[in-house]
Amino acid sequence: MNKEMQELTAWAIKTAKAAGANDSKVSIGSQRNVEISYRQRKPETIKEATTKQLYIQIFANGRYSQQTTSDLRKDALKDFIGNAITATKLLAEDPYRTLPDPKYYEGRKKMDLGTVDPQHAKFSPEERHNLVKAIESAALEKGGDKVISVTAEENDGHSESVTMTSNGFEGYEEDTFYVAGAEMTVQDEGDRRPNGYHYVVTLNKKDLPSAEEIGAECARRTMNLLGAKKIKTETLPIIIRNQGVGRIFGGFLQAMFGRSIQQKQSFLAEKKGTQVGSKHFTLIDDPFVKRGLGSRLFDGDGFATKKRTMIDKGVLKDFYVDWYYSRKLEWEPTTGGPSNLIVPPGKRSVKEIMKDLDRGIFITGFIGGNSNPTTGDASIGIIGQLFEGGKPVQAISEMNISDNHLKFWNKLVEVANDPYPYSSMRFPSMVFEDIVVSGL
Amino acid sequence: MKKITRRSFLKTTAQAAAVTIAAPVVLPEGWYSFASPAPTGYFENEFDISDSLCQKILAKALAKGGDYADLYFEHTISNYIMLEDGKVNRAYSDVALGAGIRTVKGDQVGYGFTQEMTEESMLNAAGTAATIANAEATKPASKFRWIVTKSYYPTDFKIVSAPLESKLPIVQSVNDKCFSLSSLITKVNATFHDQQKRIMVVTSDGAKAEDLLPRNYISAFVVAEKDGKREQAGWNFGGRRELAAYTDAAVADVAKKAVDSAVVLFDAVQPPAGEMPVVLGPGLTGVLLHEAIGHGMEADFNRKKISTFATMIGKKVAEPFVTIVDSGTIPNLTGSINFDDEGTPSQKTVLVEKGILKGYLHDKISAKHYKVKPTGNGRRQSYQHYVVPRMRNTYMEAGPASPEDVIKGAKNGIYVEDVSNGQVKIGEGDFAFYVSQGRLIEDGKLTAPIKDINIMGNGPKMLANITMMGSDLEFFTGGGGACGKAGQAAPCSFGQPTCLVKSMTVGGRR
Repeated sequence: MNKEMQELTAWAIKTAKAAGANDSKVSIGSQRNVEISYRQRKPETIKEATTKQLYIQIFANGRYSQQTTSDLRKDALKDFIGNAITATKLLAEDPYRTLPDPKYYEGRKKMDLGTVDPQHAKFSPEERHNLVKAIESAALEKGGDKVISVTAEENDGHSESVTMTSNGFEGYEEDTFYVAGAEMTVQDEGDRRPNGYHYVVTLNKKDLPSAEEIGAECARRTMNLLGAKKIKTETLPIIIRNQGVGRIFGGFLQAMFGRSIQQKQSFLAEKKGTQVGSKHFTLIDDPFVKRGLGSRLFDGDGFATKKRTMIDKGVLKDFYVDWYYSRKLEWEPTTGGPSNLIVPPGKRSVKEIMKDLDRGIFITGFIGGNSNPTTGDASIGIIGQLFEGGKPVQAISEMNISDNHLKFWNKLVEVANDPYPYSSMRFPSMVFEDIVVSGL
Repeated sequence: MKKITRRSFLKTTAQAAAVTIAAPVVLPEGWYSFASPAPTGYFENEFDISDSLCQKILAKALAKGGDYADLYFEHTISNYIMLEDGKVNRAYSDVALGAGIRTVKGDQVGYGFTQEMTEESMLNAAGTAATIANAEATKPASKFRWIVTKSYYPTDFKIVSAPLESKLPIVQSVNDKCFSLSSLITKVNATFHDQQKRIMVVTSDGAKAEDLLPRNYISAFVVAEKDGKREQAGWNFGGRRELAAYTDAAVADVAKKAVDSAVVLFDAVQPPAGEMPVVLGPGLTGVLLHEAIGHGMEADFNRKKISTFATMIGKKVAEPFVTIVDSGTIPNLTGSINFDDEGTPSQKTVLVEKGILKGYLHDKISAKHYKVKPTGNGRRQSYQHYVVPRMRNTYMEAGPASPEDVIKGAKNGIYVEDVSNGQVKIGEGDFAFYVSQGRLIEDGKLTAPIKDINIMGNGPKMLANITMMGSDLEFFTGGGGACGKAGQAAPCSFGQPTCLVKSMTVGGRR
């Protein structure tokens, strides 16, 4: 625990009380970041900075506001908080706005989630430069004479925050992170210059793949885009690569929040306990994954976290309901948002599944698109490979899939054995059947 | 060095603060009457950022031999007030204060920033920026000259400091108006956002510029219910305006557009999937231009040869009735700027003239690379980010055809009215944008509404496939538009006349 931050947070809570707030919640966070990128075997950008911020929620006379500032001097903060409370009192009363019942703070697990890499402080400038140079070299080597440009990057940091409420919550979070990757542009026919990338994110340096693997994977992904074209519109099975599943699931997730339900912007509002996907669709929210990117011991309301089954064999079991919207909905709160999302992996590899399907589209990325949380309608551009005879035969571009989430997730026929480790959405690749793929 | 006071920072926090920004001037109607943004010396007065301190920081930034360095000082106050379930019952405020220091060596960039406006912190940030170079120190200019430009928005506005009480009724009236327009409306979310961004740029080549950028908007988002079905839609209005812009008529217009857009969707049908003619309606569909063409013409992508437009300067890319412009000088639009974040005065930049690709959007790095003058497109999200070439307000100029004839010209296809969430792959030129609302075109006439479909295309192909251009150029006057690039968001807008693209891929389900 950072004592200085802890003392300032407690002071801000007291100051808000003295200035007329009935209750308050204060978080003070600090983050140090370093970013380095290389292009043409020399540094392209170097960036380094430390940021600090105070975030305060004010509850005054039944009114509510939130404020943030980066000026953490006490004299400045005192004025800032006083002004914020004065402004808050001008708003309309909101009987649902209170700090949570402290009983939800109880039961916090005492365990090390592994969110801090103890070696991070020893990560030297030279090591950073060497990492980026090695990624660039690997990408250039693998890309060969088609390469127009490679930019390799690393970004790492350390952050910590202290949160307190006037009704007794106190929490401290600390983590480190590493982002490493590259993007590559290669020459295709005519003026087409396909651009691919590969980035990984981890909390511990030990979990990063080697620079050679990162660079080579970037090159592999980019080369797979060569010769892309549109094929005719038809109904086909699709396999969505593990890393991309989260993008399309995001539209579904949006409808799982208490706010969406209370504001009538959720196609799932009346679906709890019903089948919203096929039997292959199971979703677990697990905040206790060691070194997981979404791991946490308490949530945004300060609630002690729990492992939850959100969807079980296609049946919707739970929503993300925070304290405020639980009061509006008159429901029991759960948690305000996801931690690590786990879809239990299947038994077969993508390669085996592709062989079995014979013909379909392997979707490796998305472009544009959106999802309507009120109706569940979604439409999104796709990038990937047509496979025939179980093997990729043609890169595709300028194509699209459209569906309604309630129909789409019922078309899930298999999940692969490859959960993606570099995201809080640890999804395996997924197979859907009977999807209209729009092209020519 | 004497202690920095931050007087204004203390005064300008949160909604209730009383802020004195500059001597008030009563502005007459019309953009051409905006007062020139004469320098006020704000950062020197409030934070003791003197010329001698700037020279010291710039010298540190160039201590290892950079070609160029600049300093960017920012003090931004943002307020949001929001209505949900009939009451204006939440407010968010944010104060951002800091300085960013950039060192440029060729096309390499070193960048450091600090939230503390102290000499020590800024010199440390300059030391970080300097590490991009590795040679003998270079020297910054010994004197700075103020860059004074025309103004394309009110620079002595008082919207942030206006009492909260004066803004609450605007938000409440958005709500009330929406409910009064249709009995199908069941939920309304309304927002009023206002921001003032005070910046100063000081460069090692002797330029110094100061600006105060307003940004504000009102928005309505509604949910309608009919026969057990629900639909949603929203609209917003704003830009770089004064509080007086948010009249009853402006509120009524936002409410009507949101409500009409939601209610019509109950009759929406799914269009067929595949390639077909697409007519872009005027105004908001300029998102497509922004994505499909605009990004590919940002010069950093071309300097690195990773844009599909990298070798097309001087070539025919469209029919002669197609002219594409990016301008920072359109009054009150969200993307307008008096000068960019490198101190280059704003301008109207022609990208495609009568079908010929004429040039790119430049910051100082790319301008030097191409041996041209910078175009005033060097922009950044905040002091925490370094400059990259960005669009401002991008539009196609009006063409010769009537909008009715353009629709007839499509014969059968789709007509796009409301779009969101576009994206482009710069190297391939492939793009996608999401049609929230539109119409089928059947036998040359607009028929059933359509919704929630993605449209895919390729930028150069789309440009070549524009076969008719309408005479009805409209600009999008919403204030919430922002473009994402390099992990940064920048306010922008766009304009578009009705326009026929003879073929694009429509992501239907049948």
